[in-house]
Parts: sequence; structure tokens; C-alpha cells
Amino acid sequence: MKFNIGTKFHRIVLAAGACAGLACGTAATAKETVALGFIGPLTGGVSSVGLGGRNSAELAIRLRNADPAAKYSYELEALDDECKPNVGVQVATKLATNRKLAGAVAHYCSAVAMGTVDVYHRFGLPMTVWGAVLPDITYGNDYPEITRVNGTMINQNETAAKFMTGLGYKTFAIIHDTTDYGKGHNSYLSKFLAEDGATVVGAFGVSADQQDFTAELTQVKALNPDVVVYAGLTPGGVRVRQQMAKLGITAVFQGVSGIKSDAYFEGLGGDLAEGTLTFLEGAPAEKLPGGAFFLTEYEKAGFSTPPEAYGPFAFAAMNLLIDAVEAVGPDRKAIVEYMGTVKDHESITGLITFDDHGQNTVALITGYVAQDGKWVVWEDSDYAKGTRSLPAPK
Amino acid sequence: MTDLPISSTAAAARPWAAGAAVIVTAGVYAWALLMAEETWQVTGLLVLAVAAVLAALKTGFARRLHQDWAASEPRLNRLAFAALIVLIFALSDAHFALLMVATTLLYFTAAMGLNIQFGFAGMANFAGAAFFGAGAYTAAVLGTVTAVPPLLTLAIGGAVALVLSLPLLLPILRTTGHYAAVVTIAFGVLFRTFLEVNEILGGPQGLMVAPMRLFGWDFNSAPVIGSYEMSFYVNYALLAAALAGLVFVLVRRLERSWIGLHMDAVRLDETAAACFGVPVARIKLTAFLLGNAILGVSGALYGMMISFIAPASFTFSDSLLLVSIVLLGGLGSLWGSAVAAAIVVLLPEKLQLLQEYRFLLFSILVMLVLLFRPDGILPRPLRTFFASRRAGK
Repeated sequence: MKFNIGTKFHRIVLAAGACAGLACGTAATAKETVALGFIGPLTGGVSSVGLGGRNSAELAIRLRNADPAAKYSYELEALDDECKPNVGVQVATKLATNRKLAGAVAHYCSAVAMGTVDVYHRFGLPMTVWGAVLPDITYGNDYPEITRVNGTMINQNETAAKFMTGLGYKTFAIIHDTTDYGKGHNSYLSKFLAEDGATVVGAFGVSADQQDFTAELTQVKALNPDVVVYAGLTPGGVRVRQQMAKLGITAVFQGVSGIKSDAYFEGLGGDLAEGTLTFLEGAPAEKLPGGAFFLTEYEKAGFSTPPEAYGPFAFAAMNLLIDAVEAVGPDRKAIVEYMGTVKDHESITGLITFDDHGQNTVALITGYVAQDGKWVVWEDSDYAKGTRSLPAPK
Repeated sequence: MTDLPISSTAAAARPWAAGAAVIVTAGVYAWALLMAEETWQVTGLLVLAVAAVLAALKTGFARRLHQDWAASEPRLNRLAFAALIVLIFALSDAHFALLMVATTLLYFTAAMGLNIQFGFAGMANFAGAAFFGAGAYTAAVLGTVTAVPPLLTLAIGGAVALVLSLPLLLPILRTTGHYAAVVTIAFGVLFRTFLEVNEILGGPQGLMVAPMRLFGWDFNSAPVIGSYEMSFYVNYALLAAALAGLVFVLVRRLERSWIGLHMDAVRLDETAAACFGVPVARIKLTAFLLGNAILGVSGALYGMMISFIAPASFTFSDSLLLVSIVLLGGLGSLWGSAVAAAIVVLLPEKLQLLQEYRFLLFSILVMLVLLFRPDGILPRPLRTFFASRRAGK
């Protein structure tokens, strides 16, 4: 009997020990769940970009949840801002006041982001912009909560100025529309061109829907610059290019991100468009450092809509946020501090380094040239290879 | 006493009990819905609401409620206002829920302005968001001028909306029905285009709006009682409640006045009204200007609360949203507008879990409501000319 009891006792102890071990085991696998937010335009005119962004953010979360080395398990709370500032403030308040939420990746529409940054700051929620490009979102305030992985028109023009002066062009005439977009491009491009030793011989403000540019172009012809820049959207760009040809201006034609669309070729036809240069934040997904990986995983996940141009940035932003949580835990203050120290952080869009305003300073900008009725990445074009050439500097 | 039907004696004993019960229930329900976060909670509450409404209609409780309201409306209105204040304090640390309450109240106030035009005088106004926006932009511009007290800004917001509607008067008075509607649509589009090309007003990127301040109290700072810190949205929710209450009283008085009677006459038959000596043009003008001024005042407070405005917030579709509140609630029915405003503001928000499909479901729900209640959720009751008589005194 005694012996029996002894073995029984022994068994119980063993069982208890095993249980404790098991419990420990399950505790290790049942990770704490951390909620992360996403905001983008999921309905309305630009919903395709918003849905692409949301899917990409979700992909980042799914991949991390599948990773056994991750310390936490993550869940996404995605909300729709309809690309309207008032709705944006509403959903941003919803995320920011949700105590379970550690951080957010938000906004494609600049006007919405401008309206919501105060909300994130007030409630101390770390937020990383994945698509909105207006410089003021990061530079218009001193909020440590706000960071941005994608580039702005500042980065775009810095790259553009360096690139153009690198090709040997020295004199520029800028025609810009008078929206924030056109004026912003004009001021940043002028600034960076001056820094790179080029001169802007003339700048002309035009209204966004102006049809006839003869007056401005006649003056441009007299100034005889190496490059004519149009800072505005595709329709204006098409007209300026056409009227340049009519007036016999042979200078190089350079646009901004706003003219990089297929409609540019539909408006002009291949011949006139040929040799137009433009710059765009980011790069085609397949050209990104981790683009191939991203596209295969996106394909595998079986989303019904494509990632669109800014999907990779939403993915990178969400991944950065998850890395922050992994490093410092799901504490908002600690994440904000972590974001302030991000330097050369690996991501599928290239290295991320935030400056003192939380802006990614090594934001990727790609140059494109119109070749045979298509936008071709400069490095892959016949122009870069030397088989075709742009008008020479004067 | 002789004309009092015997069957209603029970109701007459306490002719407000059913109404009071509904107000308290609605308050508790609103609290539960605003605090609900999980999918099953939201779905459960929505199903519960539909079931409750159907049950009320089947059991005759709805008719009893209707009688109560007709008999002792002022008392029930005061109770509802008190319930609203209690609700705001019950939610005092829930920022987001309070934002939703305040938004609902401001949309309700705006809808009451539209109701004067649409429901009383029968004038379609499809530029509601433009006048709402005019108030918001006024608040933004005046916010930069420190000399203007923000409470006055609300009034100026209304005045600006009123001034903006002056150029519309002539075309509105010379056209009727669909033609007048097109005039307002054109104005709404014009307003947005004007804002987008106007550099001083922020262009397409929008403007910051300074917060509300009252007697030196900044509305963006949290009220503290003892060691308990409330959400700063309590400020806005309370002010929005006060504004909604004030406008409610005003519009009710207007409805019961000779002006309201004239508006009804103009809506029902303009020619007949003119034959009986009703000054049709003056009545329409009053309805249009007063309605737009109310829209402007509510827009000004909305702008201060949201603290950032852009033309994209005041588009034609937002005007349609305001019109849909009025139609969904029932033309000319103030309580209908209150319920509809809550539906239009809260439902799309609570349906966020459906992501890109939420507006699809929302639209279907609106269509279903109008299919089964073509006169709106709470149709405007027939005018009681002698309230005391109806109550049996």
C-alpha cells in the first residue's frame, strides 16, 4: 500500500510537473495580441489605391503572424476615411482612443492626413503615413508621433535636380500650375536646381485648366533654356508639349509625378512624347529591393484587388511598425521613441531613415523617360544605354 | 371631458409613461451601441432595434406612444433633452463615442434648418453642405482673428451662410420644384469649385480651424472634476446639445406660428395660398434664409470640433446626405430628423467592419426603410390647432 501510494504520489508530481511544463509551453505559443490600425480610402474615387494599401498592410501582418519567432500576434483594424478630412478625423479619433491599439499606418490623401495629425498627436498614437505626399504632413509640425515612409515632392525634386544637372543641363524654364501641387514643385525644384549650380531663367504660373500656353512659351523660346519643366498634371503637360513643338522649341521636356500616366501618350501620340522625362516617388513594385518577394507573397495571399502603386509602402510601413512593437513592446510612448531612432532600417522599398520630422530621407525616387509610347525606368531605357539621345545642353 | 374616448382613460391617467419609457430605453440603447466594439455586439444591437420596432408596431405600443407624444410633447421633449445630457456624461471619458454624439447632434441641427425649407415650405435645397461649409469656413477664417469671441463666430457663421444665399433668392423665387432644385445644385458645385481655386481659403488642401472658447475656457482642454478627467469632446457635445435644443425650440415655435401655417399653405398649394393673401415670396424667402442660417451655425461649430476642413468635406454627396436625413426621418418631422441623423451618422460608422461594402449595405437599409415607411421613419403628425382640446381639457 505504502509503496502504491508512493508511486501514486510520484505520478501526481510527475503529472503536475508535466502540466506545468505544458502550461509553460502553451503560454509561450499563446502570444499576446497587439492591435494595429490602418486607415485609407476604402470607398469612393481612389478606393483602388486604398484597398491595395489595406491588403498590403494585412499581408505584412499575416506574414508576421505566421513567423514563429514573432513575440506577439497581431491583428489589423482597418478603417475607411473616404478621402474626406472630416471622416478622417472621425476614424483617426476612433483608432487613437482605442487603448488596445499600439500604432497605425494611415492615409493616402494629403488633405485627410493634414486634418488628422493633430488627433494622433493629442492622443499620442504613433502613426506612419503610407501614401500621402504633401511635405507639410511631416514638416508642418513637430509631432514625434508622425512619420512617413514614402517620399514627398521635396525628395522628388531633389532627385530630379541632381539627375538633370548630372546630365549636363544648366538652364531651366518652369511652367507650373497655381495649385499647392504645382507651386510646391516649382519652389522645391528651383531651390534644388540652384543648389546644384543650375539657373532657372524663368518661372510662369498658369491656371490648372489653361488651354493656350503661347504667351508663356513665346517668352520661354526667347529665353532659350536647356530644359522646359511643366509642374502640373497630365492634361496641362500634354498641351504644353504640343504647343512647344508648334513654336519650334527644341529643349528637353521635363514633367513631375503628375504627368506620369498612360493618358500622356493617349493625348500626344508616341512621337511628341518621346524623350519626356519625369520622376515619381517609389518605383515599380518589381524594381523595388524586395519587390519580387512582395509580389509573390501578395499573389499567394489571394487578394481580389492589386496592390497598386502605394501597396509596397503600406507593407513597408506596417512592417516597420511591427518591428517597433517587437523591439520595444506594444507601448505607444516607447514606439514613438523607437520611431525617432529609425536609421537604415531594412524594408522592401529600400532603407528607411527618419529625419527629425519623421520623414524618410532616403525615400526612393525613380526617373522615367518616355520611350516608344511607354514610361520606361531611366536606367533600363535606350537613352541611358546611349542608343538614343536627348537634345544636347546648349 | 365629454369628447374623450373611454378607451384612452388609462393612457390619460399618465399620458407620458410610454413616451418616458421609450426615451429612457433609447438613451440606454444609444449608450450600448456607442460603446459596442465587437462585431457580435453591434450586430446583436442592430437586430434588437429592428425587432423592438417591429414588436412596437405589432402590439399597438407605437400608437400608444404616438398618443402620449401628442398629449404631452413639451414634457417629453424636456425629458429627452435631460436624457441626452445624462448620456453625454455617461460617456464622459469615451472620446470617440462623444465625437459621434456631437456629430449626430450637429447633423440633426443642420437637418432642422433644411426641414424649414424642405418640410415646411416645400423648397428643395440640394446645397445644404455648401451652407454648412460656409459656416465652417467662417469659423476657420475668424479663428485666426483673436479679437472675435468664438461664440459670436457661430452667429457670424450663420450670417455668412445667410448672405451667401442672398444671390440665390431671385432664381429660387422665380423657379419652382425641380428647377429650384437645380439652382441649388449649381450653387453647391460652384461653392466647392470656388473653395478649390481659392488660395486664401486653403485651396483643395483645406484649413485649420481654431477651437471653441467660451468665457476663457478652451474647448480643446479636458474638463476635470476632482481627479476625474473627462474627454474634451464633452465640451463640444454639451454645446452641440444646447444648440440643437435651442434650434429645436425655435423651429417648433416657428412651426406653430402663423409663419409656419403660411409655410404649410405655400407647400401644399402655392396658387391657393396666394389667392388667400399669403405672401408667398416673403414666406419662401424667410424659410430659405432662416434654414441656411441654421445650417451655417451648425457648420461653424462642426468646423471647430473637427478642427480641420477641406472642400472635400462639403461636396454634393454631403448635401445629399443631409437631404436624406430629412427624407428618411419624414418631411417636416423634427423627431424623425433626430432619429434619421443618428442612423445616418452612426450606422456607416458601426458598419466599418464591413470595410469597402459598408455603403452598399447602408444604402440598402435606407431603401428598405423608405420601402416600408414611404413617409419616413416618424412622419410629421397632422397639425394640432388647439392642443388643449386634443388633450381633452
